Amino acid sequence: MAKLPISAEKIIDKFGPKKHYTPMGGFEGSHEPDKLVKTHCCFCAMQCGIQLKVKDNKIAGFEPWMEFPFNEGRLCPKGVQRYLQNNHPDRLLQPYQRVEGKGFEPITWDNAMERTISEIRRIQTQYGNDSFAMLSGVSLTNEKSYMVGKFARLALKTKNLDYNGRLCMVSAGAGNKKAFGLDRISNSWADLKHAEVIIIAGSNVSECFPTLTHYIWQARDNGAKLIVVDPRVTPIARTADLHLPVKPGRDSALFGAILKQLVDNDWIDHEFIEKHTNGFEAAAEAVKDYDLDWAEKTTGIEKEKILQAATWWGKAKTSFLLHARGIEHHTKGVDNVLSCINIVLATGRIGKPYCGYGTITGQGNGQGGREHGHKCDQLPGNRDISNPEHRKYIAEVWGVEEKEIPGMGLSAYEIIEAIHRGEIKGLISICFNPIVSLPNNNFVREAFEKLEYYVAIDFFLNETARHADVILPGSLHEEEEGTVTTAEGRVVKINQAIDPPGEARKDSDILIEMARRLGAGDKFNFENSEAVFNELRVASKGGTADYYGISYEKIEKNMGVFWPCPSEDHPGTPRLWEEKKSAFPDGKARFNPVAYKEPAEVVDKDFPVILTTGRVVSQYLSGTQTRRIGKLVDQYPEPLLEIHPSLAIQYNIQNRDLITVRTRRGEATFPAQIVETIRPDTVFIPYHWGGSHSANQLTVGDLDPISKIPEFKVCACQLIPTGKKAAPAEERSAYQSS
Amino acid sequence: MLKLFQTLNKVAFIKATIAALAVVILVFIGSRNLQNFDAALITYLFGTVFAVFGIAYRYSVWLQRPPTRLYWRRSMQFLFSKDFLTYATRSIYLLFRNILFQRFIAYRSKTRWWGHFLLASGCLISFAITIPLTFGWIHFTLEPGTYDIYNANFFGFKVASFELGGPISILAFKALFFTSIPVIIGAIIMMKRRVKDGGLIATQSLDGDWLPLVLLIAISVTGLGIGYDYTFLEGRTHQFMAVTHAITVILFLIWMPFGKFFHIFQRLAQLGANLYKIEGSKRGMAVCPHTKAEFASQTHINDLKTVTKELGFDFTLADGTNHLDLSPEGKRSVLAKAHFEARKASGKFFG
Amino acid sequence: MTVTKYDQQMGFFIDMQRCIGCHACEMACAECETNGQESMIHIHYVERAVSTQTTVQVCMHCEDPACANVCPADAISKDEFGVVHTAETSRCIGCSNCVLACPFGVPQKQEKAELMMKCNMCYDRTSAGKKPMCATVCPSGALFFGTREEIELKRPDSVPVDTFIFGNQEVKTKVKIMMPKGSNYLKVH
Repeated sequence: MAKLPISAEKIIDKFGPKKHYTPMGGFEGSHEPDKLVKTHCCFCAMQCGIQLKVKDNKIAGFEPWMEFPFNEGRLCPKGVQRYLQNNHPDRLLQPYQRVEGKGFEPITWDNAMERTISEIRRIQTQYGNDSFAMLSGVSLTNEKSYMVGKFARLALKTKNLDYNGRLCMVSAGAGNKKAFGLDRISNSWADLKHAEVIIIAGSNVSECFPTLTHYIWQARDNGAKLIVVDPRVTPIARTADLHLPVKPGRDSALFGAILKQLVDNDWIDHEFIEKHTNGFEAAAEAVKDYDLDWAEKTTGIEKEKILQAATWWGKAKTSFLLHARGIEHHTKGVDNVLSCINIVLATGRIGKPYCGYGTITGQGNGQGGREHGHKCDQLPGNRDISNPEHRKYIAEVWGVEEKEIPGMGLSAYEIIEAIHRGEIKGLISICFNPIVSLPNNNFVREAFEKLEYYVAIDFFLNETARHADVILPGSLHEEEEGTVTTAEGRVVKINQAIDPPGEARKDSDILIEMARRLGAGDKFNFENSEAVFNELRVASKGGTADYYGISYEKIEKNMGVFWPCPSEDHPGTPRLWEEKKSAFPDGKARFNPVAYKEPAEVVDKDFPVILTTGRVVSQYLSGTQTRRIGKLVDQYPEPLLEIHPSLAIQYNIQNRDLITVRTRRGEATFPAQIVETIRPDTVFIPYHWGGSHSANQLTVGDLDPISKIPEFKVCACQLIPTGKKAAPAEERSAYQSS
Repeated sequence: MLKLFQTLNKVAFIKATIAALAVVILVFIGSRNLQNFDAALITYLFGTVFAVFGIAYRYSVWLQRPPTRLYWRRSMQFLFSKDFLTYATRSIYLLFRNILFQRFIAYRSKTRWWGHFLLASGCLISFAITIPLTFGWIHFTLEPGTYDIYNANFFGFKVASFELGGPISILAFKALFFTSIPVIIGAIIMMKRRVKDGGLIATQSLDGDWLPLVLLIAISVTGLGIGYDYTFLEGRTHQFMAVTHAITVILFLIWMPFGKFFHIFQRLAQLGANLYKIEGSKRGMAVCPHTKAEFASQTHINDLKTVTKELGFDFTLADGTNHLDLSPEGKRSVLAKAHFEARKASGKFFG
Repeated sequence: MTVTKYDQQMGFFIDMQRCIGCHACEMACAECETNGQESMIHIHYVERAVSTQTTVQVCMHCEDPACANVCPADAISKDEFGVVHTAETSRCIGCSNCVLACPFGVPQKQEKAELMMKCNMCYDRTSAGKKPMCATVCPSGALFFGTREEIELKRPDSVPVDTFIFGNQEVKTKVKIMMPKGSNYLKVH
């Protein structure tokens, strides 16, 4: 019965989002805290070091952590304000159950657990084990990610477990596995310092990873040329040496054309290609027709600029290529990634100092979370759930028969589709807010309304959890110890600063209790997080993401350890491929031919404008945390429709006019913001909001065939001016998602 | 000494002398040629006269500074204009709100307001009592032919009479004991802030911030000491109590023109600043050439151009306009643009 | 009172072309204990309709501060380290002279409190030998606190400049702006 029990407005009254501010003069005890706890920011995959001030089991503020090597005290606004998620008036402090017409009423933990277990049993008996699915998230630590994987397979006995990394960087993961047999950025950020040319493709580094800017700027101080590929002039692109304003969805055309230029001008490393790679000829063959004229027509970028980029890249001695969601959120996300890898391999600039390539992983534990088995196709250590040897090894670690481990299940969006079709009837979610974050979310909401039983574990009642039958109050980042793997592959330590307040429990305690009640308690005899990590180390041993040699002590001593780290005396691996050996049996990296394909939806007469989506610096993902922090909300209070003046003039649009944007999936209305910093054929809307302000009502649910990532970054839309001006943002309360 | 005379501000000296003499004359008149003057209070009188001299001197020097002088003139000009009634009413309202109740402090912090309000009210009421007593303006006499009816006389004229031991007499004779309590509480609240607030700890000074509070507590405690002695010790320690109290009070009086307490008198200028803002906006707002939005009164901007020139700043631009025509946001943007252009001219936006 | 450990070797350097407009400095500024959760730094778009350029402005701590000169209440003072302090709360009458006369547009008026507040270079931190909050968190180096040698080494193409020209007026500041090599001043207009 996963419909809202009462109106969204009434739920918001009680559970927020409410804006939370630090009182004038700071929280009690911020001047004289009991202790400073060294930990990390709970948001993006930079995982900046930070110290939390603790007073009387509450977070009272923060103090920069100058010694942590990645950020040396630097933070973004989200990091500065992260402490405000603590002590929050919206915090869930006890379990609740849905009561039709009344909303959510408190129940005891025992009742909540009992009801959940009996519903799981009922649904699984009636419809089969796989009819109960689980959705997880990579804000969870490595330990929790590992536990979720084990829990779903051994306690819930379902194959249908997937995670929100599916809408993050899975295209990059899949591309890296196809090219290198391993999924991690090739170098630590320190190697950016002396790269001669840096290409950033589809990443608004300045807003999504602000603290990475330091490394880019440092390289530029040392003379690096910066090339930014983005449909918008983002702050990182503004002063770039070259900005390539690519038409959304045409990235592989651009990189194909660059590869052709490299080949035609012989700016390639023959020796490297010969000795250390396979498949170059086929890759070159695939782009042989992608000349500059074709590229200009296809990508919308002037051919001189494309040639300039190819020349700089081709002639450089050191280089770094970075990409992120901008090229990954596509039905050809994996192709886009492979087209980037091809130009890296063609020039042989990898596995050397200041020569690197990688994705800028987005979510807090987007890296570690995608390695340890809460993906539908994966077992710990980035093992393949369909590979009999991998299954056998993990079965041994877990002390079960190999056949007890379910096979490959559905990916995140496919789970939603299966719910919509009525094949999946029950769901547990943890740390995931799909009603805001998945595309075509009217469809997603309909799916949730069809569930027979839905239990949500979270610390705030997010937009999706409003549909839950039972809500279990879990823990915040600062309430449980664990490890996280940053975007550069550095495993860092999250330290517990305080205990969960009220009746809230640690996430792992909730999972263990549920496993026990489901009869799998013997598989979850973990004394603490370190015990989980020690099992994870063994489970990852021999896998591509090998953590065996990493211990809590070693992490703390070294302020992080880079995997792979196969043995206890191993120092970790900040730079991969120095031996010029990929993770494939033949040790060679693989070129993959990439023929250009159009996006799933292209503009036409009816839907003539390209719509793309993205982020703003003050918000994080679906906003469950950041839409509750006052100053972050106030910095960018509502989603605006960015539109170029030449397009605005065609529709007679002025600033703050309310414009209805319609796609084949739905429509929503946004205030216009007229800016010259976007392509004239494209409009942009940030996606962090729910309800009527949600950009994902418009986006398309088509998936990449390999990575199953949805095509958030491009679809076709109509613009319909309403003839009204938007009220001031503060009156519109978009952050509440009503 | 020579230096003192060299730096002596003649105008201020004359004004201060007049003010001090005026006080002395008023003492003579009010005390009926000293016949109502309480000789025991002579040290207090000297202290007060010195304080008046010092305050008047400093006030006068202060008013000679170009920005202050301008504010003073404008305030007077606006107050005594055709809108006298409006502005006088407004000033009285603000006098209560901002000077007597210091409501503006509440927006900085509630506890701070409580502390300051208690402190200030205690002090102001104490002043209102002690000054007329010291000057001999008020004195009490026994109603002839009675043993328990007292008369209060102001400038020698009887203004009230009350029964000894009645509530009014308690209020009249013990008023200072009552006012010392809020002063002590207020000072403790303010001290507590200075111990706990990291920002204050970093910026406070001993003479500017702590001594005034210590002194106020000392005055209040020694004052209470006199009462304690009188009530419980039958005057055995009267001499000691009276002397210590006198010392603290006289220290306070002498220090008033120099230290933190001078702000009590400066605060009145806040009324002027308010009138200036109201009248200025009536006369028309300045529009920022960068933001295209109103940001201050045109009068204010014009006055500032004059004042800055007097002070040796010249923000006039080549085209005859002025840097001060820009709003604060406009100034920041113009600077950022100039920086961008300088970078651009060097061939790179980044360096 | 507290023992001051202000390190005069340390300088403040700004370069708004590095700014990515993230507002981390603004949020962190409010954490400075002298500000009581009010942010004193200014960060905003220069002209959003045409560019994503942002500017970030701290108090430049002028050698001869216009704000202190125009203050009718003697509320603003410069200390022996050259730090121009925020208005003395007991004196400030909230007249806004400093707000409008500062050539860098720095002081702000807290309307209800009838008080001017401005950056005092995180005096609670700098006087204890720490870096100011804004320059500590700034992810882009638009705000930098360190020695002159340090910044010259890190930014070989730039030179710190402390002279600004506003029409006929030249203003010298304690905080430096990073300019292309060979520059001696920034001519604002």
